[in-house]
Amino acid sequence: MFGSLKKKLKESIRVFSRKVEQAPEEVVDAPKDEEIPKVVPDSGKKVEKVSIIRRVKKRVVEKKLSASDLESIFKPLELSLLESGVAFEVIARVRKELESQMVNKPIKRGKTESIVNKALENAFVSVLMRPEVPSFKKKPTVIMFVGVNGAGKTTSLAKFCNWLKKRKKSCVLAASDTFRAASIEQLEKHAAKLGVRVIKHDYGSDAAAVAYDAVEHARSKGIDVVLIDTAGRSHADVNLMDELKKIKRVAKPDYIFFVGDALVGNDAVEQAESFNEAVGIDFSMLAKADVDQKGGAILSVAYVTKKPILFLGTGQGYDDLEVFDKDKILKRIF
Amino acid sequence: MVLDRLGDSLKTSIKKLLGSALVDEKLVEEIIKDIQRALIQADVDVKLVYKLSNSIRKEIKGAKKGFSKKEQVVEVVYNSLVRLVGTKGVKIQPKGKGFTILLVGLFGSGKTTTAAKLAKFYMKRGYRVALLGLDTFRPAAMEQLEQLGMSINATVFVKKGEKKADKVVKEFAKELKKFDIVIADSAGRDALDKELVKEIKGVNKMLNPQETLLVMPADIGQNAKAQAQAFSDALKVSGVVVTRMDGTAKGGGALTSCAVTRTPVKLIGVGEKVEDIEEFEPKRFISRLLGMGDLETLLERAKESFDEEKAEDLAKKMVSGKFNLIDLREQLEGVSKMGSLSKLTSMIPGFGTAKLPKGALEVQEEKLKMFKIVMDSMTKEELERPEIINSVRIERIAGGSGTTVKDVKELLTQYRQMRKLMKGMSSGKMKKFMKQFGIKDMRDLERLM
Repeated sequence: MFGSLKKKLKESIRVFSRKVEQAPEEVVDAPKDEEIPKVVPDSGKKVEKVSIIRRVKKRVVEKKLSASDLESIFKPLELSLLESGVAFEVIARVRKELESQMVNKPIKRGKTESIVNKALENAFVSVLMRPEVPSFKKKPTVIMFVGVNGAGKTTSLAKFCNWLKKRKKSCVLAASDTFRAASIEQLEKHAAKLGVRVIKHDYGSDAAAVAYDAVEHARSKGIDVVLIDTAGRSHADVNLMDELKKIKRVAKPDYIFFVGDALVGNDAVEQAESFNEAVGIDFSMLAKADVDQKGGAILSVAYVTKKPILFLGTGQGYDDLEVFDKDKILKRIF
Repeated sequence: MVLDRLGDSLKTSIKKLLGSALVDEKLVEEIIKDIQRALIQADVDVKLVYKLSNSIRKEIKGAKKGFSKKEQVVEVVYNSLVRLVGTKGVKIQPKGKGFTILLVGLFGSGKTTTAAKLAKFYMKRGYRVALLGLDTFRPAAMEQLEQLGMSINATVFVKKGEKKADKVVKEFAKELKKFDIVIADSAGRDALDKELVKEIKGVNKMLNPQETLLVMPADIGQNAKAQAQAFSDALKVSGVVVTRMDGTAKGGGALTSCAVTRTPVKLIGVGEKVEDIEEFEPKRFISRLLGMGDLETLLERAKESFDEEKAEDLAKKMVSGKFNLIDLREQLEGVSKMGSLSKLTSMIPGFGTAKLPKGALEVQEEKLKMFKIVMDSMTKEELERPEIINSVRIERIAGGSGTTVKDVKELLTQYRQMRKLMKGMSSGKMKKFMKQFGIKDMRDLERLM
């Protein structure tokens, strides 16, 4: 999925580095004594290194990049990130990262490419957290699934239920999507295949009440995990978002999973932000990651929610659920 | 919101251009840059954006001779964008019996909901419509279509338990011919998946639809291009349906799809209810894409909801100051017929990006509802002559309508303010006010109110 981003990034990094290398060289004096940052006493080794440099006082050939240099060089990079569907705000962060690491800092000849790589990796690493999978020790652990229409909540929930079952956790599903036609039947079909129970009311009934009943059911039967399937909703609809808050108040979920669509573009920021503001997201799952060739939404969602991505949906089968592996993703990019 | 900010920036540079004495190259470049940003943020394919902005630049520079009017620059920009989605809103015109519309698209793009919306849309226009369920994969997809069909009284053909979509087509082929329009709902798919493409090709061949509509959600990002291309390679796509236009996404992916499939957007989905579908108007779409107001739609909606005669009558009363609660109620009813307030304001130029606190419109909407309830508990006399409403009456009205004294008083205050405003408006202030909102004459205002 990150194939094209990887290719483009490589390309622009190369162009970027070449431009930096071609920038007019500037002969500068090695840093004077007072400019050398003070080293914390307990890292004695570094002090020694600095003092060696000081003694040598060699004139070195270095380059310095001004902010406007970076601006013009950053363009192709920005373009490739945009083409990969990374949201504007994430790109701004990458730019800042590069600025702080490169502008007005001496850059050694031949080192540009690795410095850029490092800076980029840093920018992404800081938004991609390593997920800590919940322990499910609390009985029952209640998890609520939220997201916009058609993101893939119900399918993701079924996959997650399958994942839990394989880890010997018992589940019950709450059919709290009481709005969409046949949503309850859809959940029931999944439940029948997975061999778990669904707690349901009628269509049009109170979603919070369904969730409450499911939690009570789990409590009385000693079930490990309750998975609440809520109706897809437009994050721009205040009433629907209020309803979601109500379900949260009543069901008191331990975790809220945001199911995002990996194919969404810039709106990913708006969507994730709205849900995060309304109910607070603990983890994200991104569905349709197998269809996504770009990977931009993954970075955008992680950036906006500042919460780990737990899973990627990677196909139509129950087993097509990939535990999000930051290192794997980063490796695919860089 | 990010996008609103961008719309603002574009508006600012256009305003700057209109305010400056000369068409200056720097300003043109500024506008082009703003357009690029707005479009990329709206998820239009990046390459397409650059292609587009280059052609805008060329056209402006080429037309330099005799380019006295700054307005023309704006027009060039506008027209170039409209051209992208097709210069004319193309409508689907069903003819004869068994006119078949096949809906295809990605997972979760909104095909099934769109199928039901389309069915309702045509049933309202007097056609006999059948819904055909070909999503044999997703659990309960058949039940969903069935339930939606039931809610709108449409005939639905589904075969539960069948795994092959083409078998479903075969089974119902004869019966489907009896209907004016057949709307076929296919399974969601990744168009780059060979197996899934093979299936839809087979179905398409058997069904031989007059229209194959690609359903694209408004929020799809840069993946839109590859998907649209793949669908277009596999099938003869005849148009695009943009769904979820009620969210914050601007539909740039849909724009890309149009460019790739070389077909126009034909319909847009604007909400989760079955009636939330609109025929596509390119100019309106572009206005929204850029975050600029859309007066055209507003006027049209207002026209639909209001009886012309009543409106004229009302306007006369308003200006003369003879404006009672009955008129106010009619007005409120008219407004609610026009749609939600937030939808309405997004169409008024200058209002689309107004800095309203989040939720303010919803509060206002709730209030309008409450006002109507209060008025339902008033006597005819009280409605006609609100000045007779004293504290005893207020208490009775509050009790009868299940509201509070405060609510009733609030309504009366609003009414009085409005009447005052109307009186004041009959003078020169009115013209100024109307100009501010881009309203040309009284007739326009009547429609708006």
